[in-house]
Amino acid sequence: MKSTKEIEFVTQIEKHQNLIHKICRLYSNGDAEHKDLFQEITIQLWKAYPKFRGDSKFSTWMYRVGINTAISLYRKSKRKILSYSFDDVSYKIPQTETYDDSQDQQLKSIYAAIKQFNDIDKAVIFLYLEDKSYKEISEMIGITEVNARVKMNRIKKKLKTQLNP
Amino acid sequence: MDELEILKKDWQKNQKFPKLSKKEIYRLLHKKSSSIVKWIFILSIIEFCFWTLISLLMKDSEAQQRFDSYDIDYIIMPLMISGYIILAYFFVAFYKNYKKISSTDSVKLLMKNILNTRKTVKHYVLFNLIFLYISIIVGIIIEVSNSVDLKLITAKFTDTADYFILYGIVAILTLLMMVLLTGILLGFYYLVYGLLLKRLKKNYKVLQELEQ
Repeated sequence: MKSTKEIEFVTQIEKHQNLIHKICRLYSNGDAEHKDLFQEITIQLWKAYPKFRGDSKFSTWMYRVGINTAISLYRKSKRKILSYSFDDVSYKIPQTETYDDSQDQQLKSIYAAIKQFNDIDKAVIFLYLEDKSYKEISEMIGITEVNARVKMNRIKKKLKTQLNP
Repeated sequence: MDELEILKKDWQKNQKFPKLSKKEIYRLLHKKSSSIVKWIFILSIIEFCFWTLISLLMKDSEAQQRFDSYDIDYIIMPLMISGYIILAYFFVAFYKNYKKISSTDSVKLLMKNILNTRKTVKHYVLFNLIFLYISIIVGIIIEVSNSVDLKLITAKFTDTADYFILYGIVAILTLLMMVLLTGILLGFYYLVYGLLLKRLKKNYKVLQELEQ
């Protein structure tokens, strides 16, 4: 029996699932890990759902839980990961490694460089790519707005040096 | 245009992922989580049980029964009562820390709360080790001054220097035992928690350095 809460939650996740995929894209390597992290984020969202009051947007709330799971809660396991399958098995999750050859070489290098960054940098980059303001970034990470800007500038510099050694 | 701007443009338009159906998402909700917090919680409960069990086992041991015959309640009772009070304190502190962990907090606060939970259990283990060492030392002193068998052995020594040899051997053996026990425990904790929390600690350090 599915409860109303469950139906409500699943509908929201189905609508916003790309957000989870995007986090997985940054924090995992390969399809199996992507799926495993996707599963863990969904479980953590479900566990936190009773406390979701609806005073913030569902997607904003998802960012927090998703990033926290990827950075602090998720434990990369060696267990057999394929606990669920996508409908279309031939559909490959886009990873840096599987990037289409026709894609710009520069983009390929940027994605590859970012994959090497530490977990906190990745979170800042992710939120920046998602068009979040420095205020939102600082709140989600738990640092001051000034430090969020400092961090971003350092990331930009680091990226530049890595790409143009 | 800098690299991140190029990336941002691509990021916002180029996101093709397989779409999960409602049925598939529903199935995910009922999978088991493998989160770090769950593991820390399980390990902490095991630790609490392990150390409580050890102290209970010691209570019923032959040595303890012999101690009871020495009429030294004034030493044993305060040690036992303080032991239980401290156990209760650690358990409440651990539970409170655990309840504070929330995946909707900021990245930094969540990390801090997870590490605090671990810290409480670490302090509990440390307290137990110290408590165990104090008990060993107190036990040896009581044994040496009360045991009839030991008095018989020491009665055979005529020279004072012989006493020092006996006490020296006892002290060295005790010390070796403590070092060995500490080594084994530290090694065990390093393996279990070191590996489990390595990533978290590294990330927390990054955030702390930024605030300096």
